[in-house]
Amino acid sequence: MQALLSFDQAPPLDAPLRFFLTAPLFAVFAGLLLLWGGPDIFASRWTPDALALTHLITAGFMLQAMLGALFQLLPVVAGANMPRPRLVAGIVHALLTAGTLLLVVGFLRFESQWFRLAVLFLGAGTGLFIAAAAGALRGIPSASPTIRGLKLSLAGLAVTVGFGLLLAASLGWAFDLPLARLTDIHLGWGLVAWGCALLAAVGYVVVPMFQLTPSYPLWFGRAFSFAAPAVAFAWTLAELLEWQILGTVLAALVVLTAAGFAGITLHLQWRSKRARLDVTQVYWRVAMVSALVAAALWLAAMLLPALAEWPGWPLLFAVLLLHGGFMSVIVGMFYKIVPFLVWLHLQNAGRGRLMAPNMKKVLAEKSMEGQMRAHFATLALLVAAVIWPAWLIYPAGFALVLANAWLLRNLFSALGVYRDHLARIAALEVPGEGGPTGGM
Amino acid sequence: MHNIREFMSDDHRRCDDVFAEAEQAAAAGDWATAQAAFGRFHAAVLRHFGAEESLLFPAFEEKTGMRMGPTQVMRGEHVQMRELMDEAAAALAAHDGERYTGSAETLLIMMQQHNMKEENVLYPMCDQHLVEYVESLVPRLQAEISPGGGAGA
Repeated sequence: MQALLSFDQAPPLDAPLRFFLTAPLFAVFAGLLLLWGGPDIFASRWTPDALALTHLITAGFMLQAMLGALFQLLPVVAGANMPRPRLVAGIVHALLTAGTLLLVVGFLRFESQWFRLAVLFLGAGTGLFIAAAAGALRGIPSASPTIRGLKLSLAGLAVTVGFGLLLAASLGWAFDLPLARLTDIHLGWGLVAWGCALLAAVGYVVVPMFQLTPSYPLWFGRAFSFAAPAVAFAWTLAELLEWQILGTVLAALVVLTAAGFAGITLHLQWRSKRARLDVTQVYWRVAMVSALVAAALWLAAMLLPALAEWPGWPLLFAVLLLHGGFMSVIVGMFYKIVPFLVWLHLQNAGRGRLMAPNMKKVLAEKSMEGQMRAHFATLALLVAAVIWPAWLIYPAGFALVLANAWLLRNLFSALGVYRDHLARIAALEVPGEGGPTGGM
Repeated sequence: MHNIREFMSDDHRRCDDVFAEAEQAAAAGDWATAQAAFGRFHAAVLRHFGAEESLLFPAFEEKTGMRMGPTQVMRGEHVQMRELMDEAAAALAAHDGERYTGSAETLLIMMQQHNMKEENVLYPMCDQHLVEYVESLVPRLQAEISPGGGAGA
């Protein structure tokens, strides 16, 4: 009840924004790593450079964006307020950013002390976030699939981070653990029980509401939030107990669960009542198609030994799912969330004396469209670079830098509009200026 | 029988449909149809606000004693949406497509995040606290919301 009384306490703008403005920087670093590492980076998924690259995208870009979005979404969607959001966001952000950089340096230099430090920082940062979010959600009934999905995805994050910390610790302190097996479990939980589950929890609300589509089928909302962690859990058991065949069957179920979400989402978006496809909707649709292709590739690799032997397929899978799927959806959502938050905070600051600029004035459609084209060109180049690394790794790396520098510029331009407008509001408040301060 | 959450959420969806009609027409450059559809949307939303502000919120505040709680936040957001609707209507009257798209987009997100709070938090609270009044309250809300009803319409 206490939480409900204060559900207007939307966090300050800088709580989510500090994460959103950091995420593209990590993707720029990922592009620079491609340029620096060259074609060898795509030799196998297990090269230290490939591991560094993956974590620049997953922990650097995706996790930053997802945690930032949760600071905003938990109060609005679930009425779950964190205590002192600005302070918690600041600490989580600093620990996560430092921890990710330490982890990446750890992979690149392969020295134990970096992994030890990374364990410390990432463990503290994500631990603090999970504790704060779980505390905010405690006592809030799971009245909708979204609220239940948020809770279960948070558990998925905890498991993902737990296995990740175990892996990094075993590199830092030279534990004797089955690293390849644990890595698969870590990424299975990260991609499905955390990533896809969070996306689904948010998607139940934002797809129908903002894209004016029919709702997700009721059975799907109920079934998916349980199915994702349940199959991931069963699969993990089979993997740990080394039941090979059952493990593969359950892994296929995990992949099909995620593909089911992408398929249903695409089907709903097909029936959108919006007059035209805007940048966010195009981003969503390409993301869902890319995720479906990734799932098909995974299943094909399980069935076709010739494909399974090609060391490039896991890299292709990662490019399709991480860049084509998750990154696309995240950028698409930035383009709705950031202009809206800027408008909302300006509207509250102006209190009717000065009208806030509407979303299209905060961030122009044209800038978003240009950036989106660069993002999709990057996706095409990355896919091609997996097949012909010697030729295309450099253009792909350059494109990744460009698309994300452009994203950063777009987000900063929205922040610039915010600051300029705040200054205009402040100018109205100077006494004795004779401005239209008195009236409404 | 309807509860408050179902009944009021259904009205949100009806408003969404008319909003989409106006957007379709504006995108096609059919200003007359867009203005007519937006006019119906505007009126439907104002009736919805009216029903909440004159019936539902006072009943909730009376029963729970929470006057500065969620209903106060909702009233504040209604003020913001009234401004955005006026702005969008003015843009349509001026046949200014760009200004309309910008304010309509902002209105849509404002409206949907507002609906989210009502449907996930406030309406379930109303159903819980006003359980003995639901039977008489829903028909009165219905009368207020239907076209031609309501004090302000």
